[in-house]
Amino acid sequence: MKRISWQRLAVVAAIVPMLALSACSSSGGRPAETAAGGGSGGQVATTPSIKIALITHAGPGDTFWDIVRKGAQEAATKDNVDLLYTSDPDGGRQAQLVQQAIDQKVAGIAVTLAKPDALRDVLKKAEAAGIPVVSLNSGGDVFQSVGAFTHFGSDESVAGAAVGTKLAEEGIKHPICVIHEQGNVSLEARCAGVKTKVPGTEILYVQGTDMTQVSSTVTAKLQSTPSADAIVGLGAPFTATIVKAVTSLNLAGKVKVVSFDLNAELIQSIIDGKVEFTVDQQPWLQGYDSVDALWQNYRGGFKVGGGRPVLTGPAIVDKTNAPAILKFAKEGIR
Amino acid sequence: MTTLIKPPPALDERVGRRSMVANLLGRPEIGALVGAIVLFIFFSIVAPVFLQANSFATVLYGSSTIGIMAVGVALLMIGGEFDLSAGVAVISSALTASLFSWYFSTNVWIGVGLALVVSLTIGFVNGWILMKTKLPSFIVTLATFLMLTGLNLALTRLIGGSVATPSIATMDGFASAQAVFSNDFIIAGVDIKSPVFIWIILVAITSWLLLRTRVGNWIFAVGGDANAARAVGVPVRWTKIGLFMGVGFCGWVLGMHNLFAFDAVQSGEGIGNEFLYIIAAVIGGCLLTGGYGSAIGGAIGAFIFGMANKGIVYAQWNPDWFKFFLGLMLLLATIVNLIVKRRADSK
Amino acid sequence: MASNDMTSNETAKHGPGGAGTGAHGAGPDIDQETLLQHEKDTLTHTPVHLMELEAVGKHYGNIIALTEVTMAVDMGRVTCVLGDNGAGKSTLIKIIAGLHQHDEGTFKIMGEERRLGSPREALDAGIAAVYQDLAVVGLMPIWRNFFLGSEITIGRGPFRRLDVKRMKEVTKSELAQMGIDLRDVEQPVGQLSGGERQCVAIARAVHFGAKALILDEPTAALGVKQSGVVLRYILQARDRGLGVIFITHNPHHAYPVGDRFLLLKRGKSIGYYDKKDITLEELTAQMAGGAELAELAHELEAMGGHGELVDQVQAEVAETTGQTPR
Repeated sequence: MKRISWQRLAVVAAIVPMLALSACSSSGGRPAETAAGGGSGGQVATTPSIKIALITHAGPGDTFWDIVRKGAQEAATKDNVDLLYTSDPDGGRQAQLVQQAIDQKVAGIAVTLAKPDALRDVLKKAEAAGIPVVSLNSGGDVFQSVGAFTHFGSDESVAGAAVGTKLAEEGIKHPICVIHEQGNVSLEARCAGVKTKVPGTEILYVQGTDMTQVSSTVTAKLQSTPSADAIVGLGAPFTATIVKAVTSLNLAGKVKVVSFDLNAELIQSIIDGKVEFTVDQQPWLQGYDSVDALWQNYRGGFKVGGGRPVLTGPAIVDKTNAPAILKFAKEGIR
Repeated sequence: MTTLIKPPPALDERVGRRSMVANLLGRPEIGALVGAIVLFIFFSIVAPVFLQANSFATVLYGSSTIGIMAVGVALLMIGGEFDLSAGVAVISSALTASLFSWYFSTNVWIGVGLALVVSLTIGFVNGWILMKTKLPSFIVTLATFLMLTGLNLALTRLIGGSVATPSIATMDGFASAQAVFSNDFIIAGVDIKSPVFIWIILVAITSWLLLRTRVGNWIFAVGGDANAARAVGVPVRWTKIGLFMGVGFCGWVLGMHNLFAFDAVQSGEGIGNEFLYIIAAVIGGCLLTGGYGSAIGGAIGAFIFGMANKGIVYAQWNPDWFKFFLGLMLLLATIVNLIVKRRADSK
Repeated sequence: MASNDMTSNETAKHGPGGAGTGAHGAGPDIDQETLLQHEKDTLTHTPVHLMELEAVGKHYGNIIALTEVTMAVDMGRVTCVLGDNGAGKSTLIKIIAGLHQHDEGTFKIMGEERRLGSPREALDAGIAAVYQDLAVVGLMPIWRNFFLGSEITIGRGPFRRLDVKRMKEVTKSELAQMGIDLRDVEQPVGQLSGGERQCVAIARAVHFGAKALILDEPTAALGVKQSGVVLRYILQARDRGLGVIFITHNPHHAYPVGDRFLLLKRGKSIGYYDKKDITLEELTAQMAGGAELAELAHELEAMGGHGELVDQVQAEVAETTGQTPR
């Protein structure tokens, strides 16, 4: 195992592409190329091209932000906007990104306020430079104080409460809320929201960067908690793992699985009855509306929202509307 | 025990003085073993569910996903090097298999084969750069860690159009690959997942390799004193490159498990796990400076991690404390190692 | 530690002659009689030397590192190379061990003229060098160190494995033949004393077919007692028929074990003697350069009167030259 003969490696290297040509999978895989599906075939705005910066606190590799970005990009294309997308999970570095946007003399800044205190000063500078700011995703309660004229987002506690209400309706007493990132405020708010409606809610922390640990920790929890009757995943990929854990423990049906956010696989699971429902905060709208609101502001000084946050969710997806949404999820906008 | 063969009785009357106990105390993994036993008893008392066969299988599974890598990393550390890219390399491997099969719509086994080549190549490149430049492995693998993190994200988006790979569950060969890398074996009603067996087999093979083959001798030597090893004709360069490729191989095994257990892979996963592997190896008695340790020690280290991680859940404790416990465990295990080693040496 | 009981144990076994005396660290007190009493033949009559250097020289660019060096090494004999730092000892070893090539004179092995291109070539010719760093891995057990790089294996293909039992036995017996009786070859080399470690390295070289053994300053970093232990191993190697080249700057270590003495200074040979032609006092005087030492004493005296240091230097002058101080 330790010493690999070069001849053998060479043989493998030669064989693999040959097999690749002959051994095609009969199902699955990349769909054959279809007509470009941007969905934005409409007319482009006649305003001169402007630059708008979208600066989020997204960590690398999170599907959620892909959808936000897709929405923003679509609005940008429609509005003849040059979209500058950047992100950094660290508050201080996110502030530096805002500063860079100011330096680039953008026409508008859309920013997530996950750490509003870190961004307060730099957003003042944007205000001083006459750059309009909107906030999205997180910061619904602080957006005015940092100088954003509106906010697009879904209130996490409200979304959590919505899940809690629906669970309570189904007679759930002891749900487990799985937080995949310890110390994340919005995830904690979701679970807290669930708990306001179902007091028996229990929180389980898992290491989201390692799916095997998510799987084994959820399994351990379910083994040691026979009274659990539901389990809540806070992100689509994590819910998929939870579903597998529940199935392999033969608890399908006994323990109901519900979720936040969505992707195509999750919607398929809802259609298949493996997941009861999910709560979508419609991230595509957050991206689209943020850019569009900034463009509207540029176009005619409009300020949407009337100084109040614009709610993009929660929207509940269950068996009744899942099939209709599946198509859009596959397109990557839900 | 180091020796499977008992020394001939007529050797020396003083040999008898070095008792079984002293021999055992001289083993690198003794501190970890003591820690593991204490932890096991502890959790058995505070969380009776811990003792159920099913729960224990879960603990073993949680340990195995750290342990498979810890075995490769332990060997590498005995050889005197680090690999900070190990955590991300696991995901790179899984992404390779998944995206290749998906993009070209091939049988997934081809992707699996390609992933092995990629994993071994990552290991080879790590080792080769290290030996060519003579830079510390900390720097070299930190660089590959960052590069792989970037590649994972960038290529996944470029090829798959998203930050996660598309599901390959319906593709040809998926079922057979899943049967190998992520199967559930029901033994006497207990569900044991295949990584547990892979882990145990890997530990057995590497222990044998380390203690009973020439290569094992060389691994200890290149870690203990690379110059001395070179002077007596040990192929230092190839031994070290081979060790990095060994880590690559383990990464491939775990990466394939990740892929076939969850159908899809998130490109941002794996970051930070490299430290868990190193922690497991260190708890298991591997010296940070190289030349000392054992494969089974790394396995016990991973088992301690698994017990602590899952035990806290079984005991229904506030998991805020988990990292604290892990740190404490690391400190205690290394101190116990130190004390035991000193005592054994002074005898 | 193991070394204590080992030393006493060994003294009993190898008591007679010059061999045992070193163990007590009493090297300097041996007189000429005791040392010569076991001489078997005169050295000059050997027809073919194991190794022979004649007017060998080496320069690096325009720096002359070694010139006009003549010496011989025979089976079962110890040739000592003495000199201070920078005398050219290491250049000489490098030529013999195949690390560098000489560019003047002739170098014969078993009467055949050779120019060694690499350490491997030297090893194939039966010349093994034991350097100061010894090439042992401290954390590894003795038996693993002993066979490191040349392990004995059994089985085939993927099942090829170490023959641990045999390797341990061989290690133990080889070390025993060198006069080291270890309780346990499983203990790490790092736990051995400096002298014992030297011995493991020597025994290893002997086992793997060395006919000539180059020992580079083996006693330099050791205390009096440990030095004695190493000197005894040198004699053990000699008695097993090896030609030994013992490099040192200490005549008190060289004289009790040596059969021939080559003195180097600034790359030149300043003397080449058989043991019968030179006494320890003469050797020491040659080494230290008696005249220079006397001059130093004089200088010190002129500078600062009769300090303690001057007295010391004068005493040393007296000792080395056999004269009374001025």
